[in-house]
Amino acid sequence: MSRRGYFLEESWYLDHAAGAAMTPGQDMLLRSHLEVSPQARAHADSMARIGGALLETVGDESPLAFDAADIFALDAARSQTVAATDDGAETDTASPARSADLPNCLPDVLCEFIDQAGIKLRWEFLGPGLKKAMLWRSEADERLWLLRARPGVAIPHHGHRGAELTLVLQGSFLDGEQRYVRGDVEEADTEVEHDIQIGDGEECICLALTVGKLRFDDPLLRALQVFTGL
Amino acid sequence: MAAGLRAEAMDGTALARLVERVAATQDRAAFGALFDHFAPRVRGFLIRRGLPQAQADELAQETLLAIWRRAGSYDVAKSAVSTWVYTIARNLHIDQYRKLVRAGRVDLTDPSLRPGEAPAADELYARGQDVSAVTEALATLPNDQRRVLELAFMEGLSHSEIALKIALPLGTVKSRIRLAMDKLKLGLGGLQ
Repeated sequence: MSRRGYFLEESWYLDHAAGAAMTPGQDMLLRSHLEVSPQARAHADSMARIGGALLETVGDESPLAFDAADIFALDAARSQTVAATDDGAETDTASPARSADLPNCLPDVLCEFIDQAGIKLRWEFLGPGLKKAMLWRSEADERLWLLRARPGVAIPHHGHRGAELTLVLQGSFLDGEQRYVRGDVEEADTEVEHDIQIGDGEECICLALTVGKLRFDDPLLRALQVFTGL
Repeated sequence: MAAGLRAEAMDGTALARLVERVAATQDRAAFGALFDHFAPRVRGFLIRRGLPQAQADELAQETLLAIWRRAGSYDVAKSAVSTWVYTIARNLHIDQYRKLVRAGRVDLTDPSLRPGEAPAADELYARGQDVSAVTEALATLPNDQRRVLELAFMEGLSHSEIALKIALPLGTVKSRIRLAMDKLKLGLGGLQ
């Protein structure tokens, strides 16, 4: 058993702070987590200080091909373009449009991703009281998906053939004795067998990143996997 | 005034005052001093990230433009100016990468794109506001630890890419990074 707590492994925050390349699935899970967990965000921000300190040590190389006047000219040219088209939609200050079918608890960064990729959320049956909507899947069979679970529902004993990361966006769940709420990430790998109990009160909505299929102990649920695609 | 500023060595406080002047009055002389300090560093940083000269010049200009336009969003209580600038340049670079991914021009099956596993560190979580503490601590790191941080933060390599580059097992890279984070008091410990 490896219970790691409510955060991702250290290397995720460091890779984010350093701007390392990630797959869209990893990128979305991490940035969603940072948006809804102030503690995680503060941690990633504090790591970026290493970048600041190292930036100060970068030496002068060849002479620059531009100067400060070029920046003012660029600024003026951009302002004119915006004024001419009379449309603020192109600027990065525009907040992402939130379609009516997206749950309110979704982080802005995820709404933007859904919007840009042109994804229509299709909620499919996953089990009693459980629905899933696929967001993205890679050729390496890495999947980013949303889970909706009715309050009080139990997700039967299952393990994983690959790793699974689950970020709570709304409501809560219990895994054994650990309670996960908005902003928390549960990390499960092939070693972990878990029994999940969705918290009472509110519907639970999670963002999950899975590599490899879930492995249910119950043969009936294994049969169901054929239909649910998990 | 601007000439005087340019001659001085820039410490964190001086840089923060310059950004505040740009924010308050769109002070071009203050921006000129910031430009002289950061433009070569940002361009050098982008070149270390592997961008060709022309693209590095272009993104460096975008970074400087963002400094000019978004000076009002800089919060002296939250971060040092160099951290703020690093974050802007890093984000512009990673945004460009995301666009390439969306256009299908990056191989996502490349295993080096996966963050590896690292056991959670148990250091105390210290959050100072000043980059100088980190700078001083960086200077005291053994070369091998400093090197892995440079590969991560300057070249943008993930843990597994670093392992490939310096031909060491992934576990060694992780433990070096962990030791370094420990010394810099930036570990994850306080979160858990």
